[in-house]
Amino acid sequence: MSSASATQSRPALEHYRTVFERRFAADPLVSERRAALTAFLEQGFPTPRDERWKYTNLRRLETRAFVPGEAAPIAFDPQHAPWIAQAGLRFVFVNGHFAPALSSAQAQLPGVTLVRLADRIKHEPAAACDYLSRASQQPLSSLEQLNAAFFEDGLFVQLAPGTQLDQPIHVVHLWTDQAQLGMSHPRLIVRAGADSRVTLIEQFISTGAVESFTNAVADLALERGAVIDHYRLQEESTKAFHIGHARVAASEQARYALHDLALGASLGRLDLTVYLKEPRAHAELRGLIAPTGSQHLDTHTRIEHIAPHTTSSEEYRGIADGRGRGVFNGKVLVHPGAQKTDAYQATRNLLLSRTAEFDAKPELEIYANDVKCSHGATTGQLDATALFYLRSRGISETDARVLLIRAFAQSVLASVGNAAVREHLDGLLAHRFGSLEVSP
Amino acid sequence: MLRIDNLHVRAGERQILNGLSLEVGAGEVHAIMGPNGSGKSTLAQVLAGREGYEVTAGTVTYRGRDLLALSPEERAREGVFLAFQYPVEIPGVNNVYLLKAGLNAIRKHRGEPELDAFEFLTLVREKMKLMQMDESFLNRGVNEGFSGGEKKRNEILQMAVLEPTLALLDETDSGLDIDALRIVANGVNSLRRPDRSIVMVTHYQRLLDYIEPDYVHVLSGGRIVKSGDKSLALELEKRGYDWIKQEAA
Repeated sequence: MSSASATQSRPALEHYRTVFERRFAADPLVSERRAALTAFLEQGFPTPRDERWKYTNLRRLETRAFVPGEAAPIAFDPQHAPWIAQAGLRFVFVNGHFAPALSSAQAQLPGVTLVRLADRIKHEPAAACDYLSRASQQPLSSLEQLNAAFFEDGLFVQLAPGTQLDQPIHVVHLWTDQAQLGMSHPRLIVRAGADSRVTLIEQFISTGAVESFTNAVADLALERGAVIDHYRLQEESTKAFHIGHARVAASEQARYALHDLALGASLGRLDLTVYLKEPRAHAELRGLIAPTGSQHLDTHTRIEHIAPHTTSSEEYRGIADGRGRGVFNGKVLVHPGAQKTDAYQATRNLLLSRTAEFDAKPELEIYANDVKCSHGATTGQLDATALFYLRSRGISETDARVLLIRAFAQSVLASVGNAAVREHLDGLLAHRFGSLEVSP
Repeated sequence: MLRIDNLHVRAGERQILNGLSLEVGAGEVHAIMGPNGSGKSTLAQVLAGREGYEVTAGTVTYRGRDLLALSPEERAREGVFLAFQYPVEIPGVNNVYLLKAGLNAIRKHRGEPELDAFEFLTLVREKMKLMQMDESFLNRGVNEGFSGGEKKRNEILQMAVLEPTLALLDETDSGLDIDALRIVANGVNSLRRPDRSIVMVTHYQRLLDYIEPDYVHVLSGGRIVKSGDKSLALELEKRGYDWIKQEAA
């Protein structure tokens, strides 16, 4: 059992209890929070003994005494804001605290309910309890419990049936330098009514080399025929700890699409689960995991085909450089009775240095007999023949490498409709993998 | 133009070229024929700078310079072009981008101004007409999903755009039906110039009906064992390669 590790990490866990009592003793949700804290303390931080954490050791996170982030007044020239400009309705949280001055005006939009969780906790604690509820009734992981104990702010989004929101909802989590190690446990809750449509952009960024701890939860539910386009852009400082959890429940004919970019953080981990609950629900996941330096970036996805005639398509790519280490674990689970499931999963990974590492593990678990499931995983280096081909046309070796790496990374951009997002992602890729000497 | 002297090349443990010598003058078209495994493709690859081959002896001089000392991109910028036997598919890199990046790198090297988008497209459209290629292909990934014939046409299109001084055609006829072969050959013929030399490596005489060589060489056991004019190719077609091997032995 995990009692030994729990004993070892007791001082780390006690730290969270102390911070909790100091911060939430008088909080309206204290009893719900305390239940979550207890669950977290019982389980402790996951250890590599847990199969799902085999490649990712949280000891470094555990031994640091993070405290809730402090609100910090900051001002940006809008031209040089670190977030995607002009992307839509913007909600900026600085060190975990809502920053109205940096956020865009919130006009009332027909069919759209947007509530900040901190407001609701303060003014209507009974209703805020709802936000601890969730789209699925699966047991929560210990880090999700930690979020439930410590969450202070975030966004609740509800779309009335048929609402088509043209502007994306853009949630920015920004870290600035703090006197103490800051942590934040934000929540994003989305309830997309029947046939509604929305684009969500979650962007996690830092100004400078901030050593922060983000433990973010997203809980998304799509009613019949709803469509969510979800961008998750993790661009935090390379000293940061970033843990993300997303659970998505899709009803009949709902479509969920994810574009997931893991570029930042010293240690990053995302756990994403999609529940395809009713026939013809569809999930489409595209991701890029790109550790460099000494970054460790881990993404675990799990797609559960619960109902018959559900479909999923998933493509994750990894590009590891320096001493970077990437992990992709993609599980597709076909429940008994989920006949006519159609699931495709591919992971392709590129190692750019001898010291880089990528662990890719596709997993299929199938309990129905009339299904179409396929998966593939490849890991390799840049194609020497392609490199030679480009060079034989006069292109320098450096440029040829950049071209091939960018081309490989580009797949995550396929089907990005929003121009501002596309431009931002292009810039991110150029920044990370280089731009070209030769004018295109 | 090109002078190969006593070239010995090894790939791993295997000796492939074994004292090959060849001289190609400006404006000449040379055909290098030979049985499978004789080293024809290795010669083309080594001249273009492919890694993985070790030159153990011999020299290659191109326009007075030591060709083997140059990187593949330097060779390309100096006017060497290799039409690949198996053109590489590179999804995510546009054809048009490759052509433009290559052309501008070469022009820059020559001290010529880079072409802007308009000038470049005008040039490419003209060359595409020559190769009977559809414009839609420009924005596709390099060779991505192309048929065998389209890939070979694309190689010659690249040659037409990059205007090399020395073109190496590696089995450009393989995998082509007769119509595609005609288009490819017409493309190559239209690029013949007094200051441009062409070395084509081929297994079959068929290509030489369309692109008439000045010289034909037979490669066997890593050396040129016989040279002649185009009548040699016809003789090979009739008699096969065995008699030459015997003659050489």
